[in-house]
Amino acid sequence: MVGMEFSGTPQKTVTAREAGLVACTRCARAWPIGTEACGRCGARLVSRDVNSLQRVWALWLVGLMCYVPANTYPMLRTQQLFSVDESTIIGGAVELAHYGAFGIATIILVASVVIPLGKFWAIAFLALSVGKKGGFPSSRRLLMYEVVEYIGRWSMIDIFVVAILSALVQLQGLAAITPGPAAFFFALSVIFTMLSAQAFDPRMIWDAQATDEKARDHG
Amino acid sequence: MVDTPPPVSIKQQSKGRFSGASFIWVIPLLALVVAFGVAWQSYSARGPLIIVSFEDGAGIAAGETKLKYRDIEVGDVEEVSFNEGLTSVEVHIRLKKDVAPYVDESSVFWIVQPEVTAQGISGLSTVLSGVYIEGSWDSEIGGEAETFRGSDVAPLIRPGLDGLQIAFRTTTNGTLTDNTPIVFRGIEVGKIGRAQIARSGAFAIVEGLIYDEHRHLVNSSTRFWDTSGFDVSIGPSGAEINFSSLATLVGGGITFDTFVSGGAPVLDGEVFDVFVDRETARNSLFTTSEVDPLQLSIIFDENVSGLTTGAPVELSGFRIGTVSSLSGIVDFDQFGDSRVRLNVMISIQPARLGLPEEVTADAALSLLQNRVANGLRARLASASLLTGGLKVELVEVPDAPPARLVSDGSALPVLPTTLSQTSDVEATVEGVFTRINNLPIEELLNSFINVMNSAEVLISNTDLQETPGEVRTLLNDLSGLVTSEDVQNIPVALNATLVRIEALVTELEQQRIAETLGRTLAAASDAADAVTSSVEGVPELVAEIQTVAARAASLEFDTLINELTALTSSAEELVSSPETAQLPTALAGALDQLNATLRELREGGAVQNVNQTLASARTAADSIAVSARDLPQVIERLNALFAQAGLTIEGYNQGDELSRAAQAALRDIQEAAGALEKLARTIERNPNSLLLGR
Repeated sequence: MVGMEFSGTPQKTVTAREAGLVACTRCARAWPIGTEACGRCGARLVSRDVNSLQRVWALWLVGLMCYVPANTYPMLRTQQLFSVDESTIIGGAVELAHYGAFGIATIILVASVVIPLGKFWAIAFLALSVGKKGGFPSSRRLLMYEVVEYIGRWSMIDIFVVAILSALVQLQGLAAITPGPAAFFFALSVIFTMLSAQAFDPRMIWDAQATDEKARDHG
Repeated sequence: MVDTPPPVSIKQQSKGRFSGASFIWVIPLLALVVAFGVAWQSYSARGPLIIVSFEDGAGIAAGETKLKYRDIEVGDVEEVSFNEGLTSVEVHIRLKKDVAPYVDESSVFWIVQPEVTAQGISGLSTVLSGVYIEGSWDSEIGGEAETFRGSDVAPLIRPGLDGLQIAFRTTTNGTLTDNTPIVFRGIEVGKIGRAQIARSGAFAIVEGLIYDEHRHLVNSSTRFWDTSGFDVSIGPSGAEINFSSLATLVGGGITFDTFVSGGAPVLDGEVFDVFVDRETARNSLFTTSEVDPLQLSIIFDENVSGLTTGAPVELSGFRIGTVSSLSGIVDFDQFGDSRVRLNVMISIQPARLGLPEEVTADAALSLLQNRVANGLRARLASASLLTGGLKVELVEVPDAPPARLVSDGSALPVLPTTLSQTSDVEATVEGVFTRINNLPIEELLNSFINVMNSAEVLISNTDLQETPGEVRTLLNDLSGLVTSEDVQNIPVALNATLVRIEALVTELEQQRIAETLGRTLAAASDAADAVTSSVEGVPELVAEIQTVAARAASLEFDTLINELTALTSSAEELVSSPETAQLPTALAGALDQLNATLRELREGGAVQNVNQTLASARTAADSIAVSARDLPQVIERLNALFAQAGLTIEGYNQGDELSRAAQAALRDIQEAAGALEKLARTIERNPNSLLLGR
């Protein structure tokens, strides 16, 4: 987080890899490169996770796949005395907006549509830009990654609301709220995007910068 | 102090066959497989889309309305649209795959809506959940069909629903209420659908369904009748009101019974007649099989009120049909004027004519044609004198103008008519009633009551019962008196006396007193003696007349009337007295008395006596009248005589007495004469008064 202040001007940085070291990602102990497992905590040591991007993309894809039914299937199944109402996420938000609850509609839209879509976009952007030089500053990309990773768990707020409503409103016969199939897919989508974000190895951001600098030095 | 990292074993990363690809890709692949699997599964499980068109889409909503079969969802409405030209609503229904093969061309669809009828409430669940579409199809897989025509009401006979499918036809004058239950001994065993008018317009027809478990109740000798509403019948046992149940009272219904055994089983499609009531239904079983009635038209010149639909048509007193409809008809071409005539349509049941061979309407028509050529005519006749109802009679008119019963196919054959019988009967009855009305019954009764009252009062009066006798004796006396020679000779004697007195007086006047005083005195003495002797009878006469007059005066009929009035009032008192309770017995007694009295009177010859009395009274009165006519002369003469005698015999003291006696006698005679005259006038004026006391 400290890097935020001096972002903008790339400084001359020396990565661990260049120093012939590998850092344990769990306990942050640095080991000579080539060490397979952390001598202190036992975590596997990999200087650069070569499969990281593949995992990111694979999980990202699954997350995106899950996001489609999460929006087409109904999220909530509200059963009143004699009528059953099923609403999708967007449909529910639109309905709320119709009733004048713009605030709640906005919250739902932001939490369920804007943030997940932003996450998809951000992860894809990071994964795509990791090997590319120039363009977006690395510090910004790191910030983006941290925001994505931090905000990812808050996407579960939808599932949380559905879970609470389903648990609370179970008045036999009179009214009942049950989660629709979209809730399941939405949860999967959130989980997979979180996993996808975690699968990203942020160290690769700096590799690109390093290659930049290298090129600059030699060139 | 810097820790030197301990030497760690360095292993070269093993390079696998898929060194370039991570194992993680299995997850998206798996997800894809699952997604495709689910998609394929749901696609393959999807049934075909059918299109059902309805007249209107009552409450059908895409995505909400379900298709149900035996109350289980078997499809969803996916889309609601109009057909080309917007004449109907097309509902696209996604069927479930497992029932789809059964939905073939024989399937029917209808919309289930809440319905409140006299039979009950149906489709109540749809009030809150919304309508749904119910489908019905048989249990055999048939050819596929995509478009169907839905009905707005639930069809009575559904494919795959077991039951005896029959049809009902109304008989003449019969009615049908559609969508009503078929009730057997209070149990609903079937139902009829929506009635339709047959193409010929002669009857209504409706399809009916006897539920499968009750189909054995119906066989070929079963008769159905309408129990709609209630019927009131007034018979020898009093008034009766019949209705089977409140539901049929409100909504109508059909019931049936098998009056005789031995009917053949009934197959689907059989047509039954629905009779008007149980009696007709039962009777129809025993008459020869009813065939289509023969419809005829009769045009009556006179428009008579009282003929109604359903009035009997009789042939020589035997009912062969009924009046099916009445209307007016104006046909200038046919009748030559534009008067409204009465057009009566009758339907004749050929089975009632006793046709020898084939019992058909045509045979009946040819028979009637034959009879019409021989003078059979239709006429209106009174069916009931009390209600003024009319009937149509077919009678043979001996010398009727020739006419024919023509049937040209297009219009109904027209039966020729003859003069109706109704007006005569009505006129006669009216005349009789008028004359009865005009009879002064009340006055007659009043008079009779008066007469009876008077008679009773008169007869029950003992005084009165004696009166005839008294009157008789009195009259006898009177007549005896009047007819007595003495009385009749009075005038003569008086005349003679007066003549002699006159002659004496003239002689006295003519002779000189002085000369003939001695003789005169002697003569006067003689004369006086003579006068005395002659007048000797007068006081007796006067006394007699006086008694007569007194008795006549005492015969004041006013008194009698007063007495009678008193008696009447006492009789009234008697009537109003508490003993009136015994009036009947008293009346009977009085009547007995009356009878007895009348018998007595008859036996005693009272009437004859009265008659005789009256006759003699009349003669007596006449005689009195005659005598009375003479009396004034007598009196005048007496007056004149006394005036002269008074002057002449003034000096005689003896004469005073005589003259006073004579004057008194003469006054009495005068009074008697006046009384007699009065009596005579009264009797002359009203001879009955003597008897009736008035």
